[in-house]
Amino acid sequence: MCSKRPVPTGRPYGLWGLAIAAIVGAGLTLTTRSATPAFFPDDPLQVDNDRALDAGKAVRIEGSNAYDFAEQTFLKPGDHEPRPAVNVNTIDEVPDSSWFTNRIGRRAMSLDEIVRGPNTLETPNIDEWPVVEGKSSGITPGYRVVAPDGRLYQVKFDPPSNPEMASGAEVIGAALYHAIGYNVVQGYIVDVDPAKIIIGHDATTVDLRGRKVPITQANVDRLLRVSAKLPNGKYRATLSRFADGKPLGYFKYFGTRPDDPNDIHPHEHRRELRGSRVFAAWLNHDDSRGLNSLDMLEGEPGRQWIRHYMFDFGSIMGSGSTTPQAPRAGNEYIVEWGPGFKTLATLGIYVRPWILVDYWEEAKSVGRFEGDFFDPVKWRPEYPNPAFDNMTPADAFWAARLVSKFSDEAIRAVVAKAKYSEPGAAEHIASTLIKRRDKVLRAWLTGVNPLVNARIGPDNVLTFENAAVEAGIAKPPTQYQYTLSSFDNATGVATPAIKGGVVGGTSGRIEAPRLEIGSPSPVLRDAAYIQVSVSTIHPDYPMWSNPVTFTFRRNGTQWETVGLDRTSKSVVKK
Amino acid sequence: MRRLKLIRVIALAVWVGVPVGADAQEPSTRAETLQREREEKAQNLTPPQQGRLERGLMDLESGRVFERLLNPAEGLYPKIGNITTGSGFSLGPGYRYPRLFGGQVEFSSFVAASFTRYWMIDARLEAPRLADGRVGVGMHAQRYDFPKEDFFGLGPDSSRDNEVIYGLRNTVIGGYGTYRPMTWLNLTAGVDYYNPDIDAISEDDSLLRVFSPADAPGVLVQPDFLRYSGTVEVNNRFPRGNPRRGGRYAIAYHRYEDQDVDLFSFNRVDIDLQHYVPIVRDRRLLALHARAVLTDADAGAEVPFYYQPTLGGPDDLRGFRHFRFRDRNTMLFQAEYRWEIFTAVDGALFYDIGKVAPRRQDFHLSEFERDFGIGFRFGTVNGVFLRVEGAFGSSAGAHFILRFGNVF
Repeated sequence: MCSKRPVPTGRPYGLWGLAIAAIVGAGLTLTTRSATPAFFPDDPLQVDNDRALDAGKAVRIEGSNAYDFAEQTFLKPGDHEPRPAVNVNTIDEVPDSSWFTNRIGRRAMSLDEIVRGPNTLETPNIDEWPVVEGKSSGITPGYRVVAPDGRLYQVKFDPPSNPEMASGAEVIGAALYHAIGYNVVQGYIVDVDPAKIIIGHDATTVDLRGRKVPITQANVDRLLRVSAKLPNGKYRATLSRFADGKPLGYFKYFGTRPDDPNDIHPHEHRRELRGSRVFAAWLNHDDSRGLNSLDMLEGEPGRQWIRHYMFDFGSIMGSGSTTPQAPRAGNEYIVEWGPGFKTLATLGIYVRPWILVDYWEEAKSVGRFEGDFFDPVKWRPEYPNPAFDNMTPADAFWAARLVSKFSDEAIRAVVAKAKYSEPGAAEHIASTLIKRRDKVLRAWLTGVNPLVNARIGPDNVLTFENAAVEAGIAKPPTQYQYTLSSFDNATGVATPAIKGGVVGGTSGRIEAPRLEIGSPSPVLRDAAYIQVSVSTIHPDYPMWSNPVTFTFRRNGTQWETVGLDRTSKSVVKK
Repeated sequence: MRRLKLIRVIALAVWVGVPVGADAQEPSTRAETLQREREEKAQNLTPPQQGRLERGLMDLESGRVFERLLNPAEGLYPKIGNITTGSGFSLGPGYRYPRLFGGQVEFSSFVAASFTRYWMIDARLEAPRLADGRVGVGMHAQRYDFPKEDFFGLGPDSSRDNEVIYGLRNTVIGGYGTYRPMTWLNLTAGVDYYNPDIDAISEDDSLLRVFSPADAPGVLVQPDFLRYSGTVEVNNRFPRGNPRRGGRYAIAYHRYEDQDVDLFSFNRVDIDLQHYVPIVRDRRLLALHARAVLTDADAGAEVPFYYQPTLGGPDDLRGFRHFRFRDRNTMLFQAEYRWEIFTAVDGALFYDIGKVAPRRQDFHLSEFERDFGIGFRFGTVNGVFLRVEGAFGSSAGAHFILRFGNVF
């Protein structure tokens, strides 16, 4: 039972109530005003200034191949909680940083620019550049030389069994990774004239007993004996310029550097590292692991920061540096229990499908590189990579869009940089890259609702692009359905003005999607932010019905795009 | 008063509600948000930590410690492995110096001993890459003592119950020359001086306590020998260290000249054929091996028992003891089906048959000794490091094999 009790008017309940309401209100005010807004004034951030704090105390990190293999294979380090990439801006792009510089994804690059990559020199002639030390790591033979300007370079020779293979892979990989946006070192293909090799005055190497000893002509002769000799008597090699700064070892694909104040995003959740799985699959860069990266400390004392490099592309595209790559590479981890035990238990009657793949073997400069069997989704590096494991469809989509920027012409131009001399070699590499590119796009450009580049023009018309359609790997969808809302930036609440809007018809195709947002409803008239959630209806891609939410901010009479959300977590007022 | 108190409460509440302080604390831009995170991290910087295991492995790799300690191209190293079949695990110091005469000549030497008291001293001087790699010459000296060699008697009908041992000491000094007209063809000629010495009585289970001298030719007297050799070898195995296809086909002729008593001169022909048939792109293969050793004593002479070929042991008839069968002629056929399980791990099913015979005309293709088994090989394309096998089906029961290196 309950009874209604009259409130005596002479008692001060009204004031107490007002006091309570004021306190609650104050609390709400605090909560509301201190909550992080959905969009800051500087969103979408185009540059993440991760050079702001001094990283001068960072120390060199050395790594062990065996430990890295065992750790990644058996311990699975890093955070594997499913979550979106943490370093993307509000339009789901990667801001420029010490890790990544938007190049082909943000602007048109000329063929010359793509081909040139990070290089600043024309093909250098290294005749009489003095040899100053031996090559300290890796399996390919080589040494280090100093250019007339004092810069240090590393010379790596091709194996005699596969001339041009590793050096070709190196320069192609560097050019492509550079255009994508990564930091890579400068690399050139050079012909080394043995008669013009000069041994520097204090040149040293590490001898067979691990001692530092002077480099002799016998050392050089021994090295040339295991290197590919050209018909003209010279030796083809890769010339790599040492990066600027002080070497700090490598970065891991998980965690952050504990000695770098600027490194705040766990690497396994960085978009450009997760998404690099796509590029690695495209190029069969199975050796894409932390130990093939490079951290360099740059800047003046007191204002130093770390630049992060992708490194060593000699074993991509079917090259294994000193031999053609193993058929397993890209198809299976070194240790993959399931197929291994099936093979063991059936005494080998079970045959892993990749074993039966045919490779083109007409040129020794081409390793085991093919595009027919290649399945980008099933592609594997040598052993697990935490960032690759965390790749989401959105990460893959971001990377696939970058891959889509490489035209056939651009790919052929980059391949020509390798100067393959054997008939058919360049064509095989280029056509395989194109074939694999198309598979990458079909796999990953279609995994999410592929709407991009949304804009509201002066005519109040919203336009956007369908990246999959633009790339030519999907037919135009049958329909776009949308909801137009005002958006409260402080609370994150969207208030729909138009629900269930439709563009196109179920029987037709939309060639140029345009959403008229003129004559807005009253809720939009004074809105500082508006949101448009667009679902794409396509019979072949049902997952495209998951909406992409674009957010626009009023800027005078214009609307600027500030948000792109493929996760659809926006709070919508019913 | 109460009213005044309430007004104060309201005023306080309203004042608290004014978000001046809050605005001062909260970042107003995305860049500022990130900057604050970085500043917070800057207060807690620590040097990168590496565990002992990682540090240890890193030191081993960066200093190439394994390679430098276990198998350096130059300097001291531990000689690890088997001295000879049946010696058991052996160990000793080795030394290499490959840079004599401008790197043309290599010196190598080792001393190794096993827990079963086998030992060997070996020294070599070799120039393996003369004439643009087509010519090699070398000389060697060796002294060894194998104190517990198994002997079951001669012939195919020898009994396991008659197992005895004898000791074999020998000094070998010799030289050779090799010519490689093609990468796949080796022609080798050499000469060696042998100074064998047999101990057949010092142990309780020594040879002469069971067998008569007539049952073991050469047991009472061991002359010195000069051995002349010529070998033709065709080798197109690929990869060389752990073949998946191709083959090795070799025939060697040896002439043993008795230097003292003219009772033990003989000829010996070794035919060794290996053929590898890839079944599934080199990931499955049949490895076939046939070997025949034929000896032929001079008129009135005999082949000393310790130079007669044998069968039995982890490299040929794997279901039998070392040297289980011995006679003047032997024949062996081995077939293995090998399949790749993981990178660096292969499985193998095998079947071995073989026989010994006093005369070549007794080599009819029947009445073979046989065994079968299963095993695993650990290694790379460059070679098999370790093999673990179980051999079954022989009249001698099951045998477990743990061995460095490939079977053939």
